[in-house]
Amino acid sequence: MSEGMTRSAQGKRPHFYETPALDQMMSMIMVLAGEVSVLADHIDSIERVAAANGLDLRAGIASLALDQVALEEREARRQALLGRLFYLMRKEAAEAEAAETAEGYAAVIDEIAVG
Amino acid sequence: MCAARASLAAKQKVTPVLNTFQQAMHPALAQPTPDEGARQEFAKSLKQFVQQGILPGLGPVFRARAARRFEREAGRAPADRHDIRKAMVPDPYFQHYAAVNRVAQELLWDSVIDSVDRDLPALETRTAANSARNRGKLLIPDDFEVPRYVAALDIHCMPGGYSGRGADRDGIALGALYDRGVYLYSMGYTGPNNDDMGRSVCNYIKRRLDGFTPKRILDMGCTVGHSTLPYKELFPDAEVWGIDVAAPQIRFAHARAGAFGLDVNFAQMNAEATDFDDGYFDLVVSHIMLHETSGKAMPKIFAECHRVLAPGGLMIHADLPPFDLMDPFTQFILDNETYYNNEPFWGAMRDLDQIALAKVAGFQADTIRFDTAPMAVMEFAAQAAAGYSEAAADAVADREFTAGEFAPGGGWEVLIARKAAAA
Repeated sequence: MSEGMTRSAQGKRPHFYETPALDQMMSMIMVLAGEVSVLADHIDSIERVAAANGLDLRAGIASLALDQVALEEREARRQALLGRLFYLMRKEAAEAEAAETAEGYAAVIDEIAVG
Repeated sequence: MCAARASLAAKQKVTPVLNTFQQAMHPALAQPTPDEGARQEFAKSLKQFVQQGILPGLGPVFRARAARRFEREAGRAPADRHDIRKAMVPDPYFQHYAAVNRVAQELLWDSVIDSVDRDLPALETRTAANSARNRGKLLIPDDFEVPRYVAALDIHCMPGGYSGRGADRDGIALGALYDRGVYLYSMGYTGPNNDDMGRSVCNYIKRRLDGFTPKRILDMGCTVGHSTLPYKELFPDAEVWGIDVAAPQIRFAHARAGAFGLDVNFAQMNAEATDFDDGYFDLVVSHIMLHETSGKAMPKIFAECHRVLAPGGLMIHADLPPFDLMDPFTQFILDNETYYNNEPFWGAMRDLDQIALAKVAGFQADTIRFDTAPMAVMEFAAQAAAGYSEAAADAVADREFTAGEFAPGGGWEVLIARKAAAA
Protein backbone atom coordinates (compact mmCIF):
# COMPACT_ATOMS: atom_id res chain seq x y z
CA MET A 1 0.00 0.00 0.00
CA SER A 2 2.33 2.74 -1.17
CA GLU A 3 -0.53 4.96 -2.32
CA GLY A 4 -3.38 6.32 -0.23
CA MET A 5 -3.69 7.58 3.30
CA THR A 6 -1.17 6.66 5.94
CA ARG A 7 -2.15 3.69 8.10
CA SER A 8 0.44 4.33 10.83
CA ALA A 9 -0.09 6.80 13.65
CA GLN A 10 3.03 8.80 14.54
CA GLY A 11 4.19 7.99 18.07
CA LYS A 12 5.97 4.89 19.46
CA ARG A 13 3.44 2.14 20.09
CA PRO A 14 3.53 0.88 23.69
CA HIS A 15 3.70 -2.86 24.37
CA PHE A 16 1.46 -4.37 26.98
CA TYR A 17 2.90 -7.86 27.48
CA GLU A 18 6.32 -9.10 28.58
CA THR A 19 6.45 -11.11 25.35
CA PRO A 20 6.23 -8.64 22.43
CA ALA A 21 4.78 -11.30 20.12
CA LEU A 22 1.71 -11.46 22.34
CA ASP A 23 0.86 -7.87 21.43
CA GLN A 24 0.79 -8.88 17.78
CA MET A 25 -1.17 -12.06 18.54
CA MET A 26 -3.83 -10.07 20.38
CA SER A 27 -4.19 -7.61 17.49
CA MET A 28 -4.55 -10.52 15.05
CA ILE A 29 -7.17 -12.21 17.20
CA MET A 30 -9.16 -8.97 17.38
CA VAL A 31 -8.93 -8.49 13.60
CA LEU A 32 -10.20 -12.04 13.08
CA ALA A 33 -13.00 -11.49 15.59
CA GLY A 34 -13.87 -8.39 13.57
CA GLU A 35 -14.05 -10.38 10.35
CA VAL A 36 -16.32 -12.99 12.02
CA SER A 37 -18.55 -10.12 13.09
CA VAL A 38 -18.55 -8.70 9.54
CA LEU A 39 -19.60 -12.11 8.17
CA ALA A 40 -22.35 -12.46 10.77
CA ASP A 41 -23.66 -9.02 9.81
CA HIS A 42 -23.50 -10.03 6.16
CA ILE A 43 -25.47 -13.25 6.73
CA ASP A 44 -28.01 -11.25 8.69
CA SER A 45 -28.28 -8.87 5.73
CA ILE A 46 -28.78 -11.80 3.33
CA GLU A 47 -31.65 -13.10 5.45
CA ARG A 48 -33.28 -9.68 5.71
CA VAL A 49 -32.98 -8.89 2.00
CA ALA A 50 -34.39 -12.33 1.13
CA ALA A 51 -37.26 -11.80 3.58
CA ALA A 52 -38.02 -8.40 2.05
CA ASN A 53 -38.31 -10.24 -1.27
CA GLY A 54 -40.67 -12.89 0.05
CA LEU A 55 -38.16 -15.61 0.89
CA ASP A 56 -38.13 -16.43 4.63
CA LEU A 57 -34.67 -17.95 4.92
CA ARG A 58 -34.66 -17.70 8.69
CA ALA A 59 -37.78 -19.85 9.09
CA GLY A 60 -36.49 -22.23 6.44
CA ILE A 61 -33.20 -22.61 8.33
CA ALA A 62 -35.06 -23.16 11.62
CA SER A 63 -37.16 -25.96 10.15
CA LEU A 64 -34.39 -27.52 8.09
CA ALA A 65 -33.98 -31.25 8.82
CA LEU A 66 -30.47 -32.51 8.05
CA ASP A 67 -30.24 -35.82 6.24
CA GLN A 68 -27.38 -38.26 6.75
CA VAL A 69 -25.25 -36.74 3.97
CA ALA A 70 -25.60 -33.27 5.42
CA LEU A 71 -24.83 -34.48 8.94
CA GLU A 72 -21.63 -36.13 7.74
CA GLU A 73 -20.54 -33.11 5.70
CA ARG A 74 -21.03 -30.79 8.62
CA GLU A 75 -19.26 -32.98 11.15
CA ALA A 76 -16.34 -33.47 8.74
CA ARG A 77 -16.10 -29.72 8.25
CA ARG A 78 -16.14 -29.06 12.01
CA GLN A 79 -13.44 -31.68 12.65
CA ALA A 80 -11.31 -30.25 9.84
CA LEU A 81 -11.71 -26.77 11.30
CA LEU A 82 -10.60 -27.98 14.72
CA GLY A 83 -7.71 -29.84 13.14
CA ARG A 84 -6.51 -26.61 11.52
CA LEU A 85 -7.04 -24.66 14.72
CA PHE A 86 -4.91 -27.09 16.75
CA TYR A 87 -2.28 -27.87 14.11
CA LEU A 88 0.57 -26.92 16.42
CA MET A 89 -0.54 -29.47 19.04
CA ARG A 90 -0.70 -32.11 16.32
CA LYS A 91 2.84 -31.16 15.36
CA GLU A 92 3.99 -31.29 18.96
CA ALA A 93 2.58 -34.79 19.41
CA ALA A 94 4.21 -35.93 16.17
CA GLU A 95 7.57 -34.58 17.32
CA ALA A 96 7.23 -36.44 20.60
CA GLU A 97 6.38 -39.59 18.67
CA ALA A 98 9.40 -39.24 16.38
CA ALA A 99 11.67 -38.01 19.21
CA GLU A 100 12.48 -34.89 17.20
CA THR A 101 14.44 -32.27 19.13
CA ALA A 102 16.03 -28.87 18.48
CA GLU A 103 19.41 -30.48 19.10
CA GLY A 104 18.63 -33.11 16.51
CA TYR A 105 17.69 -30.40 14.00
CA ALA A 106 20.95 -28.51 14.64
CA ALA A 107 22.85 -31.74 14.22
CA VAL A 108 21.25 -32.26 10.81
CA ILE A 109 22.33 -28.75 9.72
CA ASP A 110 25.89 -29.49 10.71
CA GLU A 111 25.76 -32.89 9.08
CA ILE A 112 24.36 -31.60 5.78
CA ALA A 113 26.88 -28.79 5.65
CA VAL A 114 29.74 -31.22 5.41
CA GLY A 115 27.91 -34.20 3.92
CA MET B 1 -17.99 2.00 45.67
CA CYS B 2 -20.84 4.25 46.75
CA ALA B 3 -24.35 2.87 47.14
CA ALA B 4 -25.74 4.72 44.14
CA ARG B 5 -23.03 3.34 41.88
CA ALA B 6 -23.52 -0.18 43.21
CA SER B 7 -27.25 -0.03 42.53
CA LEU B 8 -26.64 1.38 39.07
CA ALA B 9 -24.20 -1.44 38.31
CA ALA B 10 -26.75 -3.97 39.57
CA LYS B 11 -29.44 -2.41 37.39
CA GLN B 12 -27.18 -2.51 34.34
CA LYS B 13 -26.43 -6.19 34.96
CA VAL B 14 -30.14 -7.07 35.00
CA THR B 15 -31.14 -4.96 31.99
CA PRO B 16 -28.10 -4.23 29.82
CA VAL B 17 -28.89 -1.39 27.43
CA LEU B 18 -27.57 -1.97 23.93
CA ASN B 19 -25.70 0.90 22.32
CA THR B 20 -27.46 1.16 18.96
CA PHE B 21 -26.48 4.79 18.28
CA GLN B 22 -26.05 5.61 14.59
CA GLN B 23 -24.30 8.59 13.06
CA ALA B 24 -26.44 10.74 10.76
CA MET B 25 -24.89 10.36 7.31
CA HIS B 26 -24.55 13.89 5.96
CA PRO B 27 -23.36 14.45 2.36
CA ALA B 28 -19.82 15.47 3.38
CA LEU B 29 -19.11 12.09 5.02
CA ALA B 30 -17.37 9.21 3.27
CA GLN B 31 -20.00 6.59 2.40
CA PRO B 32 -19.05 3.13 3.72
CA THR B 33 -19.83 -0.08 1.85
CA PRO B 34 -21.84 -2.61 3.91
CA ASP B 35 -18.71 -4.51 4.96
CA GLU B 36 -16.79 -1.31 5.75
CA GLY B 37 -19.76 -0.21 7.81
CA ALA B 38 -19.77 -3.57 9.60
CA ARG B 39 -16.07 -3.21 10.46
CA GLN B 40 -16.73 0.28 11.81
CA GLU B 41 -19.64 -1.02 13.87
CA PHE B 42 -17.41 -3.79 15.22
CA ALA B 43 -14.78 -1.25 16.32
CA LYS B 44 -17.51 0.67 18.18
CA SER B 45 -18.90 -2.56 19.67
CA LEU B 46 -15.42 -3.61 20.80
CA LYS B 47 -14.92 -0.28 22.57
CA GLN B 48 -18.32 -0.67 24.20
CA PHE B 49 -17.41 -4.18 25.36
CA VAL B 50 -14.04 -3.08 26.75
CA GLN B 51 -15.86 -0.34 28.63
CA GLN B 52 -18.77 -2.37 29.99
CA GLY B 53 -17.37 -5.90 30.00
CA ILE B 54 -13.67 -5.54 30.88
CA LEU B 55 -13.08 -2.18 32.55
CA PRO B 56 -15.32 -2.88 35.60
CA GLY B 57 -13.02 -5.79 36.54
CA LEU B 58 -10.00 -3.51 36.93
CA GLY B 59 -11.13 -2.33 40.38
CA PRO B 60 -11.55 -5.84 41.86
CA VAL B 61 -8.27 -7.00 40.26
CA PHE B 62 -6.48 -4.01 41.75
CA ARG B 63 -7.88 -4.59 45.24
CA ALA B 64 -7.60 -8.38 45.21
CA ARG B 65 -4.05 -8.80 43.93
CA ALA B 66 -2.29 -5.82 42.29
CA ALA B 67 -2.49 -3.56 45.37
CA ARG B 68 -1.41 -6.44 47.63
CA ARG B 69 1.60 -7.23 45.47
CA PHE B 70 2.56 -3.55 45.46
CA GLU B 71 2.29 -3.48 49.27
CA ARG B 72 4.48 -6.58 49.62
CA GLU B 73 7.13 -5.14 47.33
CA ALA B 74 7.04 -1.46 48.36
CA GLY B 75 6.20 -1.93 52.04
CA ARG B 76 3.31 0.54 51.80
CA ALA B 77 -0.09 0.87 50.16
CA PRO B 78 -0.40 2.55 46.73
CA ALA B 79 -0.93 6.24 47.45
CA ASP B 80 -1.68 7.94 44.14
CA ARG B 81 -2.36 7.25 40.47
CA HIS B 82 1.36 6.72 39.77
CA ASP B 83 1.56 3.96 42.42
CA ILE B 84 -1.62 2.36 41.08
CA ARG B 85 -0.11 2.39 37.62
CA LYS B 86 3.04 0.63 38.87
CA ALA B 87 0.87 -1.97 40.58
CA MET B 88 -1.35 -2.63 37.58
CA VAL B 89 1.02 -2.61 34.59
CA PRO B 90 2.42 -6.13 35.32
CA ASP B 91 -1.04 -7.63 35.92
CA PRO B 92 -2.32 -9.88 33.09
CA TYR B 93 -5.90 -8.60 33.44
CA PHE B 94 -4.75 -5.02 33.01
CA GLN B 95 -2.48 -6.02 30.14
CA HIS B 96 -5.41 -7.53 28.23
CA TYR B 97 -7.58 -4.51 29.02
CA ALA B 98 -4.99 -2.00 27.82
CA ALA B 99 -3.93 -4.08 24.79
CA VAL B 100 -7.47 -4.64 23.52
CA ASN B 101 -8.39 -1.01 24.19
CA ARG B 102 -5.44 0.09 22.07
CA VAL B 103 -6.27 -2.41 19.31
CA ALA B 104 -9.90 -1.17 19.27
CA GLN B 105 -8.62 2.37 18.79
CA GLU B 106 -6.39 1.27 15.90
CA LEU B 107 -9.11 -0.82 14.21
CA LEU B 108 -11.48 2.12 14.49
CA TRP B 109 -9.30 4.46 12.45
CA ASP B 110 -8.26 1.73 10.02
CA SER B 111 -11.88 0.81 9.30
CA VAL B 112 -12.69 4.44 8.47
CA ILE B 113 -9.58 4.93 6.33
CA ASP B 114 -10.94 2.11 4.11
CA SER B 115 -14.02 4.22 3.35
CA VAL B 116 -12.31 7.59 3.03
CA ASP B 117 -9.54 6.28 0.79
CA ARG B 118 -11.96 4.49 -1.53
CA ASP B 119 -14.55 7.27 -1.63
CA LEU B 120 -12.03 10.15 -1.82
CA PRO B 121 -12.49 11.36 -5.43
CA ALA B 122 -16.28 11.55 -5.04
CA LEU B 123 -15.88 12.93 -1.53
CA GLU B 124 -13.67 15.77 -2.78
CA THR B 125 -16.30 16.71 -5.36
CA ARG B 126 -19.07 16.69 -2.75
CA THR B 127 -16.90 18.66 -0.34
CA ALA B 128 -16.23 21.39 -2.91
CA ALA B 129 -19.96 21.66 -3.69
CA ASN B 130 -20.90 21.85 -0.02
CA SER B 131 -18.17 24.36 0.74
CA ALA B 132 -19.61 26.58 -2.01
CA ARG B 133 -22.96 26.53 -0.19
CA ASN B 134 -21.40 28.02 2.98
CA ARG B 135 -21.32 31.83 2.61
CA GLY B 136 -18.99 32.09 5.61
CA LYS B 137 -15.28 32.79 5.07
CA LEU B 138 -12.62 30.08 4.72
CA LEU B 139 -9.16 31.39 5.61
CA ILE B 140 -6.09 29.17 5.15
CA PRO B 141 -2.81 31.12 5.29
CA ASP B 142 0.15 30.05 3.13
CA ASP B 143 2.75 30.04 5.88
CA PHE B 144 1.18 28.52 8.95
CA GLU B 145 3.22 26.69 11.55
CA VAL B 146 1.37 23.83 13.26
CA PRO B 147 2.37 23.84 16.96
CA ARG B 148 4.48 20.94 18.19
CA TYR B 149 1.84 19.76 20.69
CA VAL B 150 -0.37 18.85 17.73
CA ALA B 151 2.35 17.80 15.26
CA ALA B 152 4.66 15.72 17.53
CA LEU B 153 2.30 12.74 17.96
CA ASP B 154 -0.80 11.67 16.06
CA ILE B 155 -3.26 12.46 18.85
CA HIS B 156 -5.51 9.56 19.90
CA CYS B 157 -3.66 7.42 17.32
CA MET B 158 -5.42 8.85 14.25
CA PRO B 159 -2.99 8.08 11.40
CA GLY B 160 -1.81 11.37 9.88
CA GLY B 161 -3.01 13.35 12.89
CA TYR B 162 -5.21 16.41 12.63
CA SER B 163 -2.94 18.32 10.32
CA GLY B 164 -1.13 15.71 8.20
CA ARG B 165 2.54 15.47 7.35
CA GLY B 166 2.76 15.03 3.56
CA ALA B 167 0.26 15.44 0.76
CA ASP B 168 -2.51 14.91 3.31
CA ARG B 169 -1.89 18.47 4.59
CA ASP B 170 -3.59 19.86 1.50
CA GLY B 171 -6.82 17.91 1.16
CA ILE B 172 -9.87 17.11 3.24
CA ALA B 173 -9.22 13.38 3.81
CA LEU B 174 -8.09 13.81 7.44
CA GLY B 175 -11.19 15.89 8.17
CA ALA B 176 -13.42 13.15 6.76
CA LEU B 177 -11.45 10.57 8.77
CA TYR B 178 -11.92 12.55 11.97
CA ASP B 179 -15.65 13.17 11.41
CA ARG B 180 -16.53 9.48 11.16
CA GLY B 181 -13.75 8.18 13.44
CA VAL B 182 -14.51 10.37 16.40
CA TYR B 183 -18.16 9.35 16.26
CA LEU B 184 -17.09 5.72 16.75
CA TYR B 185 -14.50 6.84 19.34
CA SER B 186 -17.24 8.52 21.37
CA MET B 187 -19.47 5.47 20.77
CA GLY B 188 -22.21 7.81 19.58
CA TYR B 189 -22.59 9.40 23.02
CA THR B 190 -22.24 12.86 21.47
CA GLY B 191 -25.27 12.49 19.23
CA PRO B 192 -25.99 11.66 15.56
CA ASN B 193 -24.07 14.76 14.45
CA ASN B 194 -21.31 14.54 17.09
CA ASP B 195 -22.47 17.89 18.44
CA ASP B 196 -23.55 17.15 22.00
CA MET B 197 -20.79 19.26 23.54
CA GLY B 198 -21.63 22.41 21.61
CA ARG B 199 -25.35 21.80 22.02
CA SER B 200 -24.99 21.23 25.76
CA VAL B 201 -23.00 24.44 26.25
CA CYS B 202 -25.53 26.40 24.12
CA ASN B 203 -28.37 25.01 26.25
CA TYR B 204 -26.44 25.96 29.35
CA ILE B 205 -26.01 29.52 28.07
CA LYS B 206 -29.69 29.83 27.14
CA ARG B 207 -31.04 28.32 30.37
CA ARG B 208 -28.57 29.44 33.00
CA LEU B 209 -26.99 32.70 31.91
CA ASP B 210 -29.88 35.17 32.21
CA GLY B 211 -30.61 35.89 28.58
CA PHE B 212 -26.97 36.29 27.51
CA THR B 213 -27.21 36.41 23.70
CA PRO B 214 -23.80 36.54 22.04
CA LYS B 215 -23.48 38.42 18.74
CA ARG B 216 -20.00 37.22 17.82
CA ILE B 217 -18.85 33.75 18.83
CA LEU B 218 -15.41 32.15 18.53
CA ASP B 219 -14.94 28.36 18.82
CA MET B 220 -11.28 27.49 19.40
CA GLY B 221 -9.82 24.12 18.34
CA CYS B 222 -12.97 23.40 16.36
CA THR B 223 -11.63 20.58 14.10
CA VAL B 224 -14.50 19.76 11.68
CA GLY B 225 -16.94 22.05 13.50
CA HIS B 226 -18.96 19.41 15.38
CA SER B 227 -19.43 21.71 18.36
CA THR B 228 -19.35 24.93 16.33
CA LEU B 229 -22.54 24.43 14.33
CA PRO B 230 -24.99 24.34 17.30
CA TYR B 231 -23.96 27.94 18.11
CA LYS B 232 -25.11 29.08 14.65
CA GLU B 233 -28.24 26.96 14.95
CA LEU B 234 -29.20 28.26 18.40
CA PHE B 235 -27.91 31.84 17.90
CA PRO B 236 -28.76 32.28 14.19
CA ASP B 237 -28.09 36.03 14.16
CA ALA B 238 -24.58 35.63 15.55
CA GLU B 239 -21.37 35.81 13.52
CA VAL B 240 -19.75 32.45 14.29
CA TRP B 241 -16.07 31.59 13.76
CA GLY B 242 -14.33 28.25 14.17
CA ILE B 243 -10.52 28.16 14.27
CA ASP B 244 -8.08 25.27 14.34
CA VAL B 245 -4.37 24.70 13.67
CA ALA B 246 -5.13 21.90 11.17
CA ALA B 247 -5.97 22.94 7.60
CA PRO B 248 -7.58 19.59 6.57
CA GLN B 249 -10.01 19.90 9.48
CA ILE B 250 -10.84 23.54 8.70
CA ARG B 251 -11.48 22.86 4.99
CA PHE B 252 -13.73 19.94 5.86
CA ALA B 253 -15.50 22.00 8.55
CA HIS B 254 -16.40 24.67 5.99
CA ALA B 255 -17.91 22.05 3.67
CA ARG B 256 -19.66 20.26 6.53
CA ALA B 257 -21.35 23.51 7.62
CA GLY B 258 -22.46 23.97 4.01
CA ALA B 259 -23.93 20.46 4.01
CA PHE B 260 -25.98 21.46 7.06
CA GLY B 261 -27.08 24.69 5.32
CA LEU B 262 -25.26 26.94 7.81
CA ASP B 263 -23.09 30.00 7.12
CA VAL B 264 -20.15 29.72 9.49
CA ASN B 265 -16.64 31.17 9.14
CA PHE B 266 -13.62 28.90 9.51
CA ALA B 267 -9.95 29.84 9.70
CA GLN B 268 -6.64 28.09 10.28
CA MET B 269 -5.37 29.99 13.31
CA ASN B 270 -3.56 29.22 16.55
CA ALA B 271 -5.65 29.87 19.68
CA GLU B 272 -2.51 31.19 21.40
CA ALA B 273 -2.36 34.17 19.00
CA THR B 274 -5.28 34.73 16.64
CA ASP B 275 -5.65 37.43 13.98
CA PHE B 276 -8.82 38.94 15.49
CA ASP B 277 -9.03 42.51 16.81
CA ASP B 278 -9.12 43.25 20.55
CA GLY B 279 -12.62 42.89 21.98
CA TYR B 280 -14.09 41.41 18.76
CA PHE B 281 -16.11 38.59 20.40
CA ASP B 282 -18.58 38.44 23.27
CA LEU B 283 -18.31 34.64 23.62
CA VAL B 284 -15.22 32.45 23.25
CA VAL B 285 -15.66 28.70 23.68
CA SER B 286 -13.68 25.49 23.25
CA HIS B 287 -14.63 21.82 23.49
CA ILE B 288 -12.13 19.10 24.47
CA MET B 289 -9.33 21.32 23.14
CA LEU B 290 -7.32 22.32 26.22
CA HIS B 291 -6.07 18.79 27.00
CA GLU B 292 -4.56 18.65 23.50
CA THR B 293 -2.46 21.81 23.95
CA SER B 294 0.50 22.21 26.34
CA GLY B 295 1.62 23.67 29.65
CA LYS B 296 3.12 26.65 27.84
CA ALA B 297 0.20 27.15 25.45
CA MET B 298 -2.63 27.08 27.99
CA PRO B 299 -1.81 30.39 29.77
CA LYS B 300 -1.36 32.03 26.35
CA ILE B 301 -4.73 30.70 25.19
CA PHE B 302 -6.47 32.08 28.30
CA ALA B 303 -4.75 35.45 27.74
CA GLU B 304 -5.82 35.42 24.07
CA CYS B 305 -9.42 34.66 25.09
CA HIS B 306 -9.30 37.69 27.37
CA ARG B 307 -7.83 39.89 24.62
CA VAL B 308 -10.39 39.02 21.92
CA LEU B 309 -13.35 39.30 24.32
CA ALA B 310 -15.31 42.53 24.64
CA PRO B 311 -15.83 43.87 28.20
CA GLY B 312 -18.44 41.68 29.88
CA GLY B 313 -17.78 38.82 27.45
CA LEU B 314 -17.63 35.17 28.49
CA MET B 315 -14.99 32.43 28.10
CA ILE B 316 -16.30 28.85 28.38
CA HIS B 317 -14.03 25.81 28.02
CA ALA B 318 -15.64 22.35 28.07
CA ASP B 319 -13.24 19.50 28.82
CA LEU B 320 -13.03 16.51 31.14
CA PRO B 321 -12.85 17.15 34.91
CA PRO B 322 -9.61 18.08 36.70
CA PHE B 323 -7.98 15.24 38.67
CA ASP B 324 -8.69 16.81 42.07
CA LEU B 325 -12.40 16.18 41.45
CA MET B 326 -11.92 12.38 41.30
CA ASP B 327 -10.42 9.50 43.27
CA PRO B 328 -6.89 8.17 42.48
CA PHE B 329 -8.14 4.95 40.83
CA THR B 330 -10.32 6.91 38.39
CA GLN B 331 -7.36 9.22 37.77
CA PHE B 332 -5.22 6.18 36.96
CA ILE B 333 -7.72 4.84 34.41
CA LEU B 334 -8.09 8.23 32.74
CA ASP B 335 -4.33 8.69 32.70
CA ASN B 336 -3.95 5.56 30.54
CA GLU B 337 -4.81 7.89 27.65
CA THR B 338 -1.54 9.73 28.30
CA TYR B 339 0.51 6.56 27.98
CA TYR B 340 -1.44 4.47 25.46
CA ASN B 341 -3.41 6.83 23.24
CA ASN B 342 -0.94 9.54 22.13
CA GLU B 343 -2.41 12.14 24.48
CA PRO B 344 0.77 13.65 25.98
CA PHE B 345 -0.96 16.51 27.85
CA TRP B 346 -4.00 14.51 29.03
CA GLY B 347 -2.71 13.89 32.56
CA ALA B 348 -0.69 17.06 33.14
CA MET B 349 -3.57 19.31 32.03
CA ARG B 350 -5.80 17.80 34.71
CA ASP B 351 -3.27 18.71 37.38
CA LEU B 352 -3.25 22.41 36.42
CA ASP B 353 -5.10 25.02 38.48
CA GLN B 354 -7.30 26.40 35.70
CA ILE B 355 -9.05 28.86 38.00
CA ALA B 356 -5.68 30.43 38.85
CA LEU B 357 -4.73 30.53 35.16
CA ALA B 358 -7.95 32.39 34.34
CA LYS B 359 -7.23 34.89 37.12
CA VAL B 360 -3.73 35.53 35.82
CA ALA B 361 -5.19 36.05 32.33
CA GLY B 362 -7.22 38.93 33.77
CA PHE B 363 -10.69 37.45 34.17
CA GLN B 364 -12.92 38.79 36.94
CA ALA B 365 -12.02 36.57 39.93
CA ASP B 366 -15.53 36.17 41.37
CA THR B 367 -16.90 34.93 38.01
CA ILE B 368 -14.40 32.09 37.47
CA ARG B 369 -15.90 28.68 38.23
CA PHE B 370 -16.40 25.08 37.15
CA ASP B 371 -19.96 24.04 36.42
CA THR B 372 -21.76 21.16 34.70
CA ALA B 373 -23.56 21.63 31.38
CA PRO B 374 -26.11 18.76 31.26
CA MET B 375 -25.77 16.53 28.19
CA ALA B 376 -28.26 17.14 25.40
CA VAL B 377 -28.39 13.43 24.51
CA MET B 378 -32.07 13.06 25.50
CA GLU B 379 -32.96 15.58 22.79
CA PHE B 380 -31.68 13.16 20.16
CA ALA B 381 -34.07 10.48 21.41
CA ALA B 382 -36.91 13.01 21.33
CA GLN B 383 -36.05 13.69 17.67
CA ALA B 384 -36.12 9.93 17.00
CA ALA B 385 -32.58 9.94 15.59
CA ALA B 386 -31.55 6.49 14.28
CA GLY B 387 -30.56 4.19 17.12
CA TYR B 388 -31.15 6.85 19.80
CA SER B 389 -33.88 5.02 21.68
CA GLU B 390 -35.23 6.57 24.90
CA ALA B 391 -33.68 3.71 26.87
CA ALA B 392 -30.25 3.99 25.25
CA ALA B 393 -30.12 7.78 25.56
CA ASP B 394 -31.38 7.62 29.14
CA ALA B 395 -28.65 5.13 30.03
CA VAL B 396 -26.04 7.63 28.82
CA ALA B 397 -27.62 10.71 30.41
CA ASP B 398 -28.39 9.05 33.73
CA ARG B 399 -25.16 7.20 34.44
CA GLU B 400 -22.34 8.18 36.73
CA PHE B 401 -18.97 9.30 35.48
CA THR B 402 -17.05 6.30 34.13
CA ALA B 403 -13.37 6.83 33.61
CA GLY B 404 -12.10 5.73 30.23
CA GLU B 405 -15.19 6.77 28.37
CA PHE B 406 -14.98 9.65 25.94
CA ALA B 407 -18.05 11.34 27.38
CA PRO B 408 -18.54 11.76 31.13
CA GLY B 409 -21.84 10.77 32.71
CA GLY B 410 -24.67 13.25 32.81
CA GLY B 411 -22.92 16.44 31.80
CA TRP B 412 -19.83 18.22 30.55
CA GLU B 413 -17.50 19.99 32.95
CA VAL B 414 -17.20 23.64 31.89
CA LEU B 415 -14.81 26.35 33.06
CA ILE B 416 -16.51 29.74 32.92
CA ALA B 417 -14.98 33.19 33.34
CA ARG B 418 -16.17 36.70 32.55
CA LYS B 419 -14.11 39.65 31.39
CA ALA B 420 -14.80 42.66 33.56
CA ALA B 421 -17.32 45.15 32.13
CA ALA B 422 -15.90 48.49 30.99
CA ALA B 423 -15.38 50.89 33.91
